[in-house]
Amino acid sequence: MTAVLDRTRTPAPAHRPRRRAGNRTDQLFLLPAVAFVAVTVVYPLIYSVVQAFQDVGLREVIRGGADWVGFANFADQFGRAEFWQALWLSLVYTVGTVVLTYAGGLALALLFVRRFAGRNVMRALLMLAWILPTVVGANVWRWLLDGSYGLLNAVLRGLGLIDGDLFWLGQPGPAMVSVIAATAWSFAPFAMILLVAGLQGVPTMLYEAARIDGAGAWQQFRHVTLPALRPVSVTVMLLIFIFAFKTFDTIYLMTRGGPGGATLTLPLYAFQEAFEFRRYDTAAVATTVMLLVPLVLSIFYFRSLRREETA
Amino acid sequence: MRAVRIAGVAVAAAVLAAAGCSSGGGSGTGGGAAEPAEPLSVWQFYGDESMPTGKPLYDLVARYEQQSGTDVDIRFIPYDDFNRTLTQAAAAGDGPDIALISAFDTAAMADAGVIQDLSPQVQAWGQQGAYFPTGWESTQADGKTYGIPHLADAYAVYYNTAMVQKAPTTWAEMESTAAALSGQGRAGLAVSGIEGAEGATGLAIRMLAAGVQPTQIDSPGGHAALESFRRMVASGALSEGFLTWNEEDAKNQFATGQAAMMINSATYVNILREENPDLQWSVAVLPSEATGQTMLSAENLTIGATSDDVDRAWDLITFMQRPEELQVYLPERNKLPARNDVPGTAEDPVRAVFAQQLQQAWAPDAALAPHTTELLTALQAALQQAISGTPVPDAARSAQATIDEALGTS
Repeated sequence: MTAVLDRTRTPAPAHRPRRRAGNRTDQLFLLPAVAFVAVTVVYPLIYSVVQAFQDVGLREVIRGGADWVGFANFADQFGRAEFWQALWLSLVYTVGTVVLTYAGGLALALLFVRRFAGRNVMRALLMLAWILPTVVGANVWRWLLDGSYGLLNAVLRGLGLIDGDLFWLGQPGPAMVSVIAATAWSFAPFAMILLVAGLQGVPTMLYEAARIDGAGAWQQFRHVTLPALRPVSVTVMLLIFIFAFKTFDTIYLMTRGGPGGATLTLPLYAFQEAFEFRRYDTAAVATTVMLLVPLVLSIFYFRSLRREETA
Repeated sequence: MRAVRIAGVAVAAAVLAAAGCSSGGGSGTGGGAAEPAEPLSVWQFYGDESMPTGKPLYDLVARYEQQSGTDVDIRFIPYDDFNRTLTQAAAAGDGPDIALISAFDTAAMADAGVIQDLSPQVQAWGQQGAYFPTGWESTQADGKTYGIPHLADAYAVYYNTAMVQKAPTTWAEMESTAAALSGQGRAGLAVSGIEGAEGATGLAIRMLAAGVQPTQIDSPGGHAALESFRRMVASGALSEGFLTWNEEDAKNQFATGQAAMMINSATYVNILREENPDLQWSVAVLPSEATGQTMLSAENLTIGATSDDVDRAWDLITFMQRPEELQVYLPERNKLPARNDVPGTAEDPVRAVFAQQLQQAWAPDAALAPHTTELLTALQAALQQAISGTPVPDAARSAQATIDEALGTS
C-alpha cells in the first residue's frame, strides 16, 4: 500500500514544474495583448486622471512642468453651472436613450422571435442601423429633420399637424429629443439581438402553464416574459447606458451640442474644454466623472448579479 | 525560464535590428554631401490634392520643388484635428518644419512653444511693410514675429442680381430689403448661425457695425445687434433654420435661390461660378452703421519649434509669399492677398470688392486671440437664446459673464 502510495506521489513533482512552465509560456503569448492594452488604454486613462489634479493648459502640454493643484480643478468645475448642466444633460440623454432603445429593441425582439416570411431579410435590414457608420446615420437624421426640406416635416405637413417649417435641431427641447431618437434608432437592433436570444431561452412550458391558468397575451407578457427576461434586460440597459453616456459623435454631428448648449452633454463639454478652449485640466475633470458614473453603476450591477447567482 | 530567455533575446534582437535600421538611415541622410536631404514637412488643413481647397497649395509647393530641387512632404490634417495633432507632435518633439495655422491661434502656439521666433529672418527679409496691419498683427507675440500671413479672407454680402437691384448699404436697409424679398419658401438673407464659433460671425459683424467690440455683447450696441437678428427672424427675412446652418449650408441656400442674399467669405466665389453658372449674382461690401467692419479670416505660415531645417523652411515660406506666385495661387484658392503688392486682385470685380472689404477687417488682438473661440461660442449662445425667446438683456448678460470669465475681466 505504501509502495503504491509512493508511486502515486513520485510522478507529481515531475509534472508540476512542466505545467508551470507551460503556463508561463501561455502567459508569454498574452504579453503583447497586455502591453497593447496597457499602452493604449491604461496609460492614457491614468494620464487623464492625473491631469485632473494638475494645472494644464496648452503650454504645459508642450513644455511639461504642470503644477499639482490637488482638488482645485474639481472644486472649480463643481462650482460651475455649465458643468452641472452638462452632467444633467448627459443623464437626460442617457436615460432617454436607454428607455427608447430598450422599448424599441424589445418590440422588435417580440416581433422577430416569431417565424414569418421575410423575417431574416427584415432583420438584416434593421441591422443596417447598427452597422452604419455614425457619420452616415447622423447625416441621415439631419436630412430627415431639416426644417425646410426634411421628410419628417413633409409628412407632418401632409397630415395637417404642422403649418410651416419646424426646425427640430434649432430648438432646445426638440433638439434633445432628436438626438435621443437618432441614438436609440442606431442602438435598438443591438438590443433586439440580445433580447431575442433572451426570449428564445424562456421555456415554452411557462407559457403553456400560464395559458392553462387563463392568462391572456398581456398577462403572459407581464408575468412570464418580463420576469424571465430580467437578467438580459438589465445587461442590455447597462450596456446601452454605458454606450450612451459616452456618446460623442452622433450629438456632435447633429447639433454640435447646440442650440445654445441644449445638447452639450459631458463628452461634448470635455471636447470643447480640451480642444476648443484648450483647458485640458478641466476637461480631464469631466472625463474622470465620465469614467466614474458608469463604473459605479457597473459595480452595483455586478453585485446584484452575484446576489442573484447565490440566491 | 528558457521561454523568458528566448523572449529576451528576441526583444534584444528586435531592438538591435531597429537600431541598425535607424543608424543606417541616419548615416544615409546626414552623411556625405551627395546624399539627399530629408524632405521638408508642411502640415496644413486646407485639403488634400484632390480637393479644390487643397490642390492650389500642392501646385504652389510643386512649383517650389521644381525650382529649388527640394522635396516637400505635405500632410493634410482636417481642421478639427489640426491643433490637437500639431500640439501632440510638438510635445513628442516630432512637429513639422512648416505649419499653416489659423491666424488667431498663432499667439497661443507661440506661447506654448509649438512654433519658433522668426524675428531675425523677418528683419533680414525686410518685406513686413507690404502686409496689411491687421494680418501682420496676428503674427506678433511678446514683441516677436512668429509667422508670416499666408493669405486673408473677409466676409461681404453676396446678392442675387435677379432679385436684388442694389445691395443694402445700411443695416436698416438690409432688414427691410431682406423682409421684402422673403416669402414662398424663400428668405431674404442667409448666414451661418450654427453652434460654436462659426455661427457667431454674422452677429459679430452686426456688433461691429453697431460700433461695439465683439467682447461687449452686454452693451447698447450688443443689444441692438441681437434685436436686429430677432427682428429678421420674426419678419421671415432670415429663416430660423440659420441656427443649424454652417457657411456651406448658407451658400447652398443662396445657390439654390432659397435666399436672395448671404453674408459669407470669398471662399465661395469660384465654387458658385463653377457649380452654379446660371446663377446671377454679385458682391457688395457689408452694410454700414457706425462702421462697416468685417471679420478677418486668415492663416499664418509658421516654422515648427522642433524643425532642424529652418533655413530651407524659411526659403519655402518666402517663395510662397512672392507676389507673382500669389497672383496665380490666390484666385485658384478663392482667397485674398495678405499683402498689398499682389497684382491682379483689382481686375476681378468680385475679388476687388472683397479686397476693399478687407481694408476694414477686425481681428482679435494678441491678448484676446487665444480666447477667440470662447468669445464667439458665447456670442452664438446669446444669439440662439435671443432667437428662442430669452429677453435680449438676459441673453446678453449671460454671454457677457462667460466672456468676462474667459478673459479674466470678471
